[in-house]
Amino acid sequence: MGIFTQFVWLGGMLLEGVILVRSILGKSFAKYPLFYVYIASVLFTSGFLYVIYFVMPSKNVPFYWRAQYLTLALGCGVIFEISRNAFTQHVSLDRFVRWTMGMTFGIIFLLVAIHAFVLPHWNPSVNPADLERDLRLAQAVALLAIVFLTQYYGIEIGRNIKGMILGFGVYVGASIISLTLQLFVGAKFNTAWQVIQSSSYLAALSIWTVALWSYDPAPARPNEPPDPDYQRLAGRTRQVLGSIQEQLDRTPR
Amino acid sequence: MIQLVLSLLLGLALVVSLYFFARRSKPSAEGTAQQLREARQTLDSLQFGLLPNDLVERIFAREDLEYVLSAARPEVQSLFLADRKNIALAWVGRVRSAVLNLMRFHRGHARLHARLSFSTEIRLALNFAGLLTACRLLQITFYLRGPYAAPGMVRTAAAAAGRVCSISEDSLAFLNVKRVDQLENNEARNRA
Repeated sequence: MGIFTQFVWLGGMLLEGVILVRSILGKSFAKYPLFYVYIASVLFTSGFLYVIYFVMPSKNVPFYWRAQYLTLALGCGVIFEISRNAFTQHVSLDRFVRWTMGMTFGIIFLLVAIHAFVLPHWNPSVNPADLERDLRLAQAVALLAIVFLTQYYGIEIGRNIKGMILGFGVYVGASIISLTLQLFVGAKFNTAWQVIQSSSYLAALSIWTVALWSYDPAPARPNEPPDPDYQRLAGRTRQVLGSIQEQLDRTPR
Repeated sequence: MIQLVLSLLLGLALVVSLYFFARRSKPSAEGTAQQLREARQTLDSLQFGLLPNDLVERIFAREDLEYVLSAARPEVQSLFLADRKNIALAWVGRVRSAVLNLMRFHRGHARLHARLSFSTEIRLALNFAGLLTACRLLQITFYLRGPYAAPGMVRTAAAAAGRVCSISEDSLAFLNVKRVDQLENNEARNRA
């Protein structure tokens, strides 16, 4: 094991420990339970893989991919946590993000099932990086939806959730890019892939450590809408825009 | 291959959007009395400052062009065309920015509602985008071919923007002085 890998591995575990300790001291564990369960599971699997690396080196790779799938599944919980807290006063937006992620996962699993049905000899475990990249894509779509919606509606979010989005987004984005390039370039890219993957996770942990150092409550609830009937507002705006569209369709171009 | 390129693009899109997300300043307190007043001003400027029919007809009056072409020297003709082109471009630019302000107002107002209709919001966003694109096309047409290139389009855009105002006027009926003052009082109390 190289010095860089040792540094990333141990540094990562140290930061995960710090985040968990701060969550208990700052009483924020109960506020973001899914996020901290994710961190705890990564800390546990990292420690486990570290021991396996020295005790049973040959089992390290298969264990690595199993642990990666476990943390990947728990990572979806982080997105639920982000969406729930970012849109705490916007039920419909939260539901939309969940729906988007559910649909994307559904499409990916459907494609895997079709592949397995059409190609009986095809086995996703032969190339686990391929499947991981596909599942990371679903997470990326959900994160993009969250970022876009907060930007579009000008929704204010707290430091904790902003940090979660940035940290997780950096890790997911770097994973997708490196996994895609690995599949594209081949074995030559393996070393670079390992460096990118572990560095991006270390970067994510650093962001989380700073952003979640103390509990930052969600921003205060905005004013009540002057017109409480959303349907009336939307109906009138739609009417305006419908007539504009009608007029523009008649325009000679 | 296409799948790999799409994955790469999605990863890059995520990283780029995170960059802008990290740089985002604190959003303004939408829905405040100040913002409601601005919405009122936007509507007023659209209705009274930009869209009176006689003003639009004056800018794009073909009689003016015919008169200048028949009576003036070539350098005066080109000066006239350049002036009208600049006025037309400024007019479309102002209409476009006013529509943008209205769109911002709608989003800021809609976000105060806990339960939005997502399909409605998507349709509205697409319609706003359509109108903005039409304005942009007008700008390009004026820039490339002058203010007399698309008379039909000008009339249509003016009428369409006029309709936005008149119907938005109804939807913003709650923006009366009493209501805004009440909101300001509430805000002052909250601050205290």
